[in-house]
Amino acid sequence: MKNIFSIPILVCLVISIPFSIFAQEKQSDSLIETSKVIAEPATSLIVSDYKYDNGNSLKLNWVPSIDDQLPAGKVTGYELFRSVNGGGFERIAEFPPQKNSFQDDKVEIGSSYVYYIDALSKDTATSSAKTELINPEREWFNAGKIPLLIMALIIAGSIFYFIETARRGKTLFVRKIAGLEAIDDAIGRATEMGRPILFIPGIQDMDDVQTLAGLTILGRVSKVIADYDTRIFMPVSRSLVMTAGRETIKAAYQSAGRPDAYSDDMVNYITDEQFGYVAAVDGIMVREKPATVFLLGAFFAESLILAETGNSIGAIQIAGTARPAQLPFFIAACDFTLIGEELFAASAYLSGEPKQMGSLKGQDVGKAIALIVILIGVIAATFSTAWDIAFMTSIYDFFTTIFSVSK
Amino acid sequence: MSTKVKEILAVVAITIFCLVFYIGKINGWETIEFSFTVSMIVISLLVLSLVWILILTIKGNLIERRIVFLFVGIAVTLPLFMGISQKISSSPEVVSLYESVDALPAGSKVLISFDYDPPSAPELQPMAEAFIQLCFEKNLKVITMGLWPQGPQQANLAFEKVFSSEKLKGRKFEYGVDYVNLGFQTGNEFVVQRMGSSFKSMFPTDYVGNAYNDLPLVKNIKNFSNIDYCFNLSAGFPGTVEWIQIGVDRFGVLLGAGNTAVQAPQIYPYLNAGQLTGLLGGMNGAAEFEKLTEIPGKGTKFMLSQSFSHMVVIAFVLIGNVAFFMSGRKSMLEGNEE
Amino acid sequence: MDHFSLWLAAFLTLGIISFLYKDNPWYKLTEAIFIGISAGYWVVTLYWDNFYGKFWVNKGEEPTLWIGAFFGFLMLLRLIPKVGWLSRWPLAFIVGATSGLWLMNYFASNIMVQVQATIMPLFSTGYGTGFDADFATIVANFVIFFGTLTGLVYFFFSKEHKGAFGVGAKIGIFFLMITFGASFGYTVMSRMSLLIGRIDFLFGDWLGMIQ
Repeated sequence: MKNIFSIPILVCLVISIPFSIFAQEKQSDSLIETSKVIAEPATSLIVSDYKYDNGNSLKLNWVPSIDDQLPAGKVTGYELFRSVNGGGFERIAEFPPQKNSFQDDKVEIGSSYVYYIDALSKDTATSSAKTELINPEREWFNAGKIPLLIMALIIAGSIFYFIETARRGKTLFVRKIAGLEAIDDAIGRATEMGRPILFIPGIQDMDDVQTLAGLTILGRVSKVIADYDTRIFMPVSRSLVMTAGRETIKAAYQSAGRPDAYSDDMVNYITDEQFGYVAAVDGIMVREKPATVFLLGAFFAESLILAETGNSIGAIQIAGTARPAQLPFFIAACDFTLIGEELFAASAYLSGEPKQMGSLKGQDVGKAIALIVILIGVIAATFSTAWDIAFMTSIYDFFTTIFSVSK
Repeated sequence: MSTKVKEILAVVAITIFCLVFYIGKINGWETIEFSFTVSMIVISLLVLSLVWILILTIKGNLIERRIVFLFVGIAVTLPLFMGISQKISSSPEVVSLYESVDALPAGSKVLISFDYDPPSAPELQPMAEAFIQLCFEKNLKVITMGLWPQGPQQANLAFEKVFSSEKLKGRKFEYGVDYVNLGFQTGNEFVVQRMGSSFKSMFPTDYVGNAYNDLPLVKNIKNFSNIDYCFNLSAGFPGTVEWIQIGVDRFGVLLGAGNTAVQAPQIYPYLNAGQLTGLLGGMNGAAEFEKLTEIPGKGTKFMLSQSFSHMVVIAFVLIGNVAFFMSGRKSMLEGNEE
Repeated sequence: MDHFSLWLAAFLTLGIISFLYKDNPWYKLTEAIFIGISAGYWVVTLYWDNFYGKFWVNKGEEPTLWIGAFFGFLMLLRLIPKVGWLSRWPLAFIVGATSGLWLMNYFASNIMVQVQATIMPLFSTGYGTGFDADFATIVANFVIFFGTLTGLVYFFFSKEHKGAFGVGAKIGIFFLMITFGASFGYTVMSRMSLLIGRIDFLFGDWLGMIQ
């Protein structure tokens, strides 16, 4: 007897084949579904207040995902999310793999913040646990600026020391400054020629130290012109400078015993506007034809116009400014130029005032420190970069740390 | 003919010249542009004139300063009529500034401080226009202010020019949402200092009198921590130095600067020390930035005049030195003869 | 710009430029107009931005402004000789406050950061990169190093410029003069730019001869 079950078995076999294939395909689909790349989240996300600031920084640290390994880790980067005062989370930063810290500088005191971080893979983003609520705090003191404080104390201390020394009567040495001897000669020239002196104390106000230096030299010039009875014109562009200038010249005439010879018209306010002032002074130069022009103070674009006009009328010109951009013009067009700090040194030298002399010497201490630090620092940097000498590296690190300025 | 008569005739001639061309402009006359051949002839004549002056100087005939003024005027004027353009390269500091702005995501808030007045506009206005246009092309929000009185009006002029540009045609920019002009504030560097804690205290109203809190773009801006980038256009004091000392070193602002060529040399140390993200120096910097941003403007247009005037100045410096050494030699020879 | 504004601007521009020929009434008139307008402009600007903006629009929100206003009033008392001495107080405040602010700003930005930036390896492009600088970079590094050192020596006032110190000072003045020359060149560019702007206005906006 032929097997009566063979046909049903055959039929079942034939019917089951598609199902098995289908099942296999279904199995392969789920295999495709489960092959998406999912990275483990970052862990231990901690937020803390950034110390010694104004309450506008928070520090975040986290442990990168265990799937974040170079070169073939699953993590392609991180994204940081932040919620402010219980509101919705928004993305505030993104980082490359291996990053484990961030400083959020865009927070405000009085607000509260919560963070979480997403570890990104090729297909997904996996979130870390959220941080606790934090409020940024403001500290009284920024410890990051201690090096700045130390350096400022050293230089300020030197200045105070030398001021005290000068007050006690000790003579402080200041080297000879070219151009200072020319002041008396220039005033004498104007007196002999019977022509006036033009004094321009710059175009800045009394809050600029160059104006103060210029006015100190004006005090010296005023004493000489009061004795020689030479005319002086002093057009100014700031009302306060006019007041200070009048007081200076008046005091000089009074100490020379000739208060009646003083007139307020010697010092005139023109205008605050830069080129309006220059146009007026140019007009005064061309019409009054002063024999001597003093340009001592803070100048800007008008410096060359003034110096060139003074040169064209044949006046002897003594200039001084601490603005580097204007020095080339004074050097080219004037007879004597006090370069930069020489203006302040001249002011100290002529007045002999302990405060000014002491300040000058104290600044020299600062310059000496800068000189020594740069010299040693550059040698240390060169040697440590070239030959990796540990001692030199320490010196370099020390100097760059001392002279860094944190925010 | 006396000098006075000559002067009067010259003034009359110049007046007639101006009237003729002004009336021509109203009647739609075309602008004048020299062809390449004419430009070359003009350049050759200029060079020959300078050589002639050198020869005169060597012979002992010194020219007066008004001739120097005339030559400088010609050197500046004639290239404006020429159809030649100058090749412009890109300096690292200009590229660096461009890349800093390019890296800002859309919606970032950019604060531009207009610290200059109309006399410095030929150098700084092209920078302002190119920068603002770049910001709008990148969908950045622009807030302008000024530490100089005429700064905000320069900002308005720049906005007007930018809104009429080809690249931004069809786009609408809403005041108070896309851009704001906060205006001018006295106080110099104290303004920057105060802005570090509160913008509103320094600018209670904007340039036209709108209250600070009524402007959607700025009402949530408390201080520099809410600003993504700062750009300072400066012609002197107060300007870039104050922004660096206070904005950058005290409040950590990201700052780029555009300066007049007078100020640029003293700003380079700050750039080298990393306190600036980039620097545009003078008209040259403006032209380079226009080239990088592909926004041609007056910076590019004026570069040829700039180059010509520099060549004339160099020529006169050389001629002046020849005159100096010749006069020294002459007095030496005279001394020997005696 | 309308016809009147264009001609007025051109008239004033040419008036100032006429000074290059010689001093003349046209220049004097233009100069007087400029000075007058600039003084008036400052008055108007200061009124609207200071008084109106701070005290009318912002009234009550910034009480500390009233202290500043009081100091400003004290300044004006200088006009009355009997109580003029009171104006010294606000003056002292201005000088002191500015000095205090500038002290740390300049100290931090112009000294500390600059000294740190000058400490660099001479034969490298950066710290820790080895001998990777090309010849031009090495020369630039040496120029910065020696220029800074000798410049500081020149401005040292406590020692006479004699001997080795004098040699350093002389080298310093050479560096300074070269710097001033470069700065002068930059300034020539700046001044030419301003002249180009005016010439562009005259021949472009006014006469329409150029685009």
